[in-house]
Amino acid sequence: MCKILVIDDEEAVRSAVKRRLERDNYEVDTAETQAEGIEAINTHNPPYDVVVTDMVMESPTSGLEVLQTALASDIFTELIVLTAYGNVGNAVECMKRGAFDYVEKNIPGVDVFELLSLKVQQALERRKVSLATLRRIEHFTNKK
Amino acid sequence: MGFNLSNIDLGNESAFVVEIGRLAISGRPVADTLQNILEKCVNVCSAVRGFLAIVDHDRGELDVRYTCGEGWSEEKRLGRLKVSEETGGGITSHVAATGIIYNAPDVTIDPYYIRSFDDVKSELAVPLVDGDQRTRGVINIQSVKHSNFTSDHERFVLALARLAVMAMVLADHRSRETALVQIGKELNGFTDISAIPQKVLDVAAEALSFEDCSLFLVDRTTGKLVLKASRGPLKEMIGKAAYELGEGLTGWIAQNKQSIRVINPSSDSRWRGLHQELPNVEDGAFMGVPIVGRNDLLGVLRVQRRKSPYNWFRNDFTEDEERILSTIAGQLAVALENARLVDQLVKTERLAAWGEMSARSAHMIGNRVFAIKGDVNEIEFLLNSGDVEPQDAWGLLESIKKGIFLLEEILNEFREFVKATQVELVEADINLLVKETIAETFPKRSATKLRLDLDESLPHICADTTKLKRCFSELLENALSFQPEGGEVVVSTSIADSRSKKWLKPSQRSGKYVAVRFADTGPGVKSENKPKIFNPFYTSRAKGMGLGLSIVKGIVDAHNGTIYESGKAGVGAIFTLLLPCKCEAPRRKRVNTEE
Repeated sequence: MCKILVIDDEEAVRSAVKRRLERDNYEVDTAETQAEGIEAINTHNPPYDVVVTDMVMESPTSGLEVLQTALASDIFTELIVLTAYGNVGNAVECMKRGAFDYVEKNIPGVDVFELLSLKVQQALERRKVSLATLRRIEHFTNKK
Repeated sequence: MGFNLSNIDLGNESAFVVEIGRLAISGRPVADTLQNILEKCVNVCSAVRGFLAIVDHDRGELDVRYTCGEGWSEEKRLGRLKVSEETGGGITSHVAATGIIYNAPDVTIDPYYIRSFDDVKSELAVPLVDGDQRTRGVINIQSVKHSNFTSDHERFVLALARLAVMAMVLADHRSRETALVQIGKELNGFTDISAIPQKVLDVAAEALSFEDCSLFLVDRTTGKLVLKASRGPLKEMIGKAAYELGEGLTGWIAQNKQSIRVINPSSDSRWRGLHQELPNVEDGAFMGVPIVGRNDLLGVLRVQRRKSPYNWFRNDFTEDEERILSTIAGQLAVALENARLVDQLVKTERLAAWGEMSARSAHMIGNRVFAIKGDVNEIEFLLNSGDVEPQDAWGLLESIKKGIFLLEEILNEFREFVKATQVELVEADINLLVKETIAETFPKRSATKLRLDLDESLPHICADTTKLKRCFSELLENALSFQPEGGEVVVSTSIADSRSKKWLKPSQRSGKYVAVRFADTGPGVKSENKPKIFNPFYTSRAKGMGLGLSIVKGIVDAHNGTIYESGKAGVGAIFTLLLPCKCEAPRRKRVNTEE
């Protein structure tokens, strides 16, 4: 089963995201702070498949720091950044550095939970493809 | 004054002059010096009596202020004044008008003499003329002998007359200096821009005898000069009377940033006569100076003087008076700019808080809405699945409700934060406000003990009672929430002492303040957190957005007061509000610092 970590400093946000993703049959852990999230990423084995993190927690760049930790732990961990509506600068920066995508929390008229569910699904597919490619390369190099 | 003059002849006159000179510059009341001078004139010149009349600049009359010798009664003294009211009638009036010494060896054949004492045969009148060639007064001495007054006498009285003028001018300078220092002090203590103008005119009028003066300030939106304060009949026109730049004498001063000093202003080509302190016929002299700030013109300060019924009375303003008016204008400019700066600073601080406020509330509102949308999403899913357990749906509804309540709480705090600086001040009893707040908000059965220590003799203050009670209840709630196991809250009121006034801005310290203190026995505030506690969103409580204390600070600031915390971590928190006592009138006034 796919393992997902949700990091957000608001309880209401964490539980709503967790509930929605559990509906898709993922196993979801939560963390309340950037530090707690980084700790979870570093200790969780096997690594999380997808990390969903808030962009702004202790600092405006909390999301970037989570990203760095996640990629250092497993280069194929997919990261989705949650941002405030209309505040995508840092989220784009995350994508340039390897994050899968970002989701704005308050897009008017859009059911962001369905959007998030879709993004997580796509992220997992990309991870699956990446891992398969990796295995093929490993297989190919071993053969040689 | 301890002088015995009976045995001294004219040979010693120089010793007198030195003695009187010392007295004149000693700083003693000028009245002592003038009385002394008159007595010496009478005694040394073997006169039977004498008087010293002072020119009353307001009415343009001679006023017999000092008398010496035989035969004086109150009636006689006032009688002399009446006589001098006739133009050209009487030796004293003649001398006052000409400024030249007059010796009448035989009054019976003198063309100017008016009889008032039966025994007078000869009379000597000496003017007191100042550096501006303006007559300040007249010394008049009389003798029962014909041709009593010699040229030696004339020289002696003239010498003493000069000393008398010197003493008067010195006294004027002293009182002007005192007045200017007083104006400076008054201005320093004022941060309320609306109170400055009238205060300055009051001091100027009382101490400098600028009776009919008015202050016009440039209105920043219309660019017109608008009357802000006046001592004369124009008082009714405050806020209404206005000049365009360049219009009339006042407008000319503003446009050219130059002073004007004229006699008979109505004959000046620049004169328009739009708003006058005095009716045309009475308007004798006009003086006005520009009030110039660092970058631009702030206004015009002007004075008008009545026309004297006497031809000889010069009522024009002197260079000296212009310097004084300019000095006041300079001080006023600094005070006005200071007040504007303080105002701007408050606005800037508030603006910075605003910026953070908007970002933070957007974040919090966003998260709440996100969570509510999550609940809605779940309900939709349950309904679509056709398999809804009522308690699941109820749980989700409950969560949505909670989210909406939280949103409303945020909205409420937001509103209070915005409105904190809009206060409506009325005269209020601070102790009553404290008691009312406690009755309304302090729980009847609380583990926390409440002690009141109110100074019942406190003066009333100007307060927005609703907002101030909001401050008190916030501080009380704070104290209660930080000591849930019980403890004590002490609420006290007093006149602020000099130690607590150190928390005020230097410009505020001269005023009188009331202190309201909330001391608790909770955990207190750690010293590293003290600078932050009044910032918006600083909170160690779970409720709301953490705007509570910043709202309190906003309200106190709008009252021109301050709030500080001076407790010790581990011992308890002590919050003190300082509020100014200055309550000009029980009138309603709207102060709106938010734009």
